[in-house]
Amino acid sequence: MSLLEIIDLHKKFGNLHVLKGINMEVDRGEVVVIIGPSGSGKSTLLRCINRLEEPTKGKVILDGVEITDPKVDINKIRQRIGIVFQQFNLFSHLTALENITLPLRVVKKIPKEEAERIAMRFLKKVGLEDKASHYPHQLSGGQQQRVAIARALAMNPEVMLFDEVTSALDPELVKEVLDVMRQLARDGMTMIVVTHEMGFAREVGDRVIFMDKGKIVEEGTPEEIFTNPKHERTRKFLSMIL
Amino acid sequence: MAIGQFDPHLFLKILPDLAYGALVTLKFSILSTLFGLVIGTVFGIFRIVKNPVLNAISMAYVEVIRGTPLLVQIMIVYYGLPQAGITLPPDISGVLALSINSGAYIAEIIRAGIQSVPKGQMEAARSLGMTYVQAMRYVVLPQAFRNILPALGNEFIALIKDSSLLSVIAIAELTRVGMQIYAVTFNAWTPLLGVALFYLMMTLPLSRLVDYAQRRIGGHESA
Ligand SMILES: Nc1ncnc2c1ncn2[C@@H]1O[C@H](COP(=O)(O)OP(=O)(O)OP(=O)(O)O)[C@@H](O)[C@H]1O
Ligand SMILES: [Mg+2]
Repeated sequence: MSLLEIIDLHKKFGNLHVLKGINMEVDRGEVVVIIGPSGSGKSTLLRCINRLEEPTKGKVILDGVEITDPKVDINKIRQRIGIVFQQFNLFSHLTALENITLPLRVVKKIPKEEAERIAMRFLKKVGLEDKASHYPHQLSGGQQQRVAIARALAMNPEVMLFDEVTSALDPELVKEVLDVMRQLARDGMTMIVVTHEMGFAREVGDRVIFMDKGKIVEEGTPEEIFTNPKHERTRKFLSMIL
Repeated sequence: MAIGQFDPHLFLKILPDLAYGALVTLKFSILSTLFGLVIGTVFGIFRIVKNPVLNAISMAYVEVIRGTPLLVQIMIVYYGLPQAGITLPPDISGVLALSINSGAYIAEIIRAGIQSVPKGQMEAARSLGMTYVQAMRYVVLPQAFRNILPALGNEFIALIKDSSLLSVIAIAELTRVGMQIYAVTFNAWTPLLGVALFYLMMTLPLSRLVDYAQRRIGGHESA
């Protein structure tokens, strides 16, 4: 059974039909890369998966549990789904360390000392143990994004969602973030990655999904999508960005 | 004497009384700001939650308070409530009226403060499994309060001055103490200049502090 299953997912904002019946499955340990033009609904799809946006219709099933069921405790579910945003969204009044310990303490009720130990372990994992007491505004974009990844990982999620996490970074800072994600994939994390970094998609992705206008146009191995796309729209998109 | 009949002798004699009046003023202002902060936080949040009823209640409260004179509000609490069967001592009436008044202004400040925190902060907190209340308490409000500290300081300063209206319900705050001295001595300039001086001694340092806070916050704004 796949870890994550999305069945006929629709999302409307008023009259704007943004997702028009998305079906996909993600296996445990799989890295799925989603590409597609601006406005095609990639962010909305990720945000529907942890219900930051409420889907208009359809189901999201995580490990056999339908999380789109209104009766489900979404705060419990969200601990199992990490998400990292384009704009980092670190808590600006807290240090790097506190950014990670806050949810551990508030959500998981882990005592302070243990939360700090866990936080340090994940800061180390992203190479920032020496920046523990820095505030977000004292960190570069790349460092902030790595803290954001560490914060999500510290919750011990089963799947990680990445929404164009390198798009707001200066080019020279992109690599340090991608390196962390590469390592994460190697460690066996299940990941859904929305990105414009085609090199990364090719190298790390097990599967690539091309989305356009709220639908999945085609999907396949990176090899299939990048060297031999079946659909005209995929070809056009790739020729524009490669 | 250049200024009316300023009497340095009298001035020295009434200093302790004025100082005591100033303490009372400070006490009422601090208490009312604190209660106002609680009321304001609640109604400020009522303004932004997705609930039309709470939105409307909060808006009505703010409009009514801001649209009527504080003096009238004080008199309604002091003279009106007893006729509705609720009799409160003057001190309590005074704090109540001032708190309800400052709560409305602070609600607006809090609302603006919450809206000054980028939406991504709430989203990130929710995405980590925090409830709406936890996200507000640990992520949004601390940042909102940091941003609105100067505005809250100004509100406190305004309240120090506005609390002079409590003199009409026989609370012995600074203004009333001055008026009482005038009534006994028939010398207006000495007590009233003293009163003004004491107000300034409270408000000027606070204004400085607000300026300082404003500069600091402006200094390291972060995304
Ligand atoms: N909260 C919202 N309210 C109204 N419309 C929205 C909202 N969020 C997204 N949209 C619209 O939905 C469409 C899809 O947006 P989405 O952000 O999912 O696209 P995307 O594929 O992530 O694009 P990009 O590559 O630019 O990030 C866009 O037309 C966008 O304007
Ligand atoms: Mg997007």
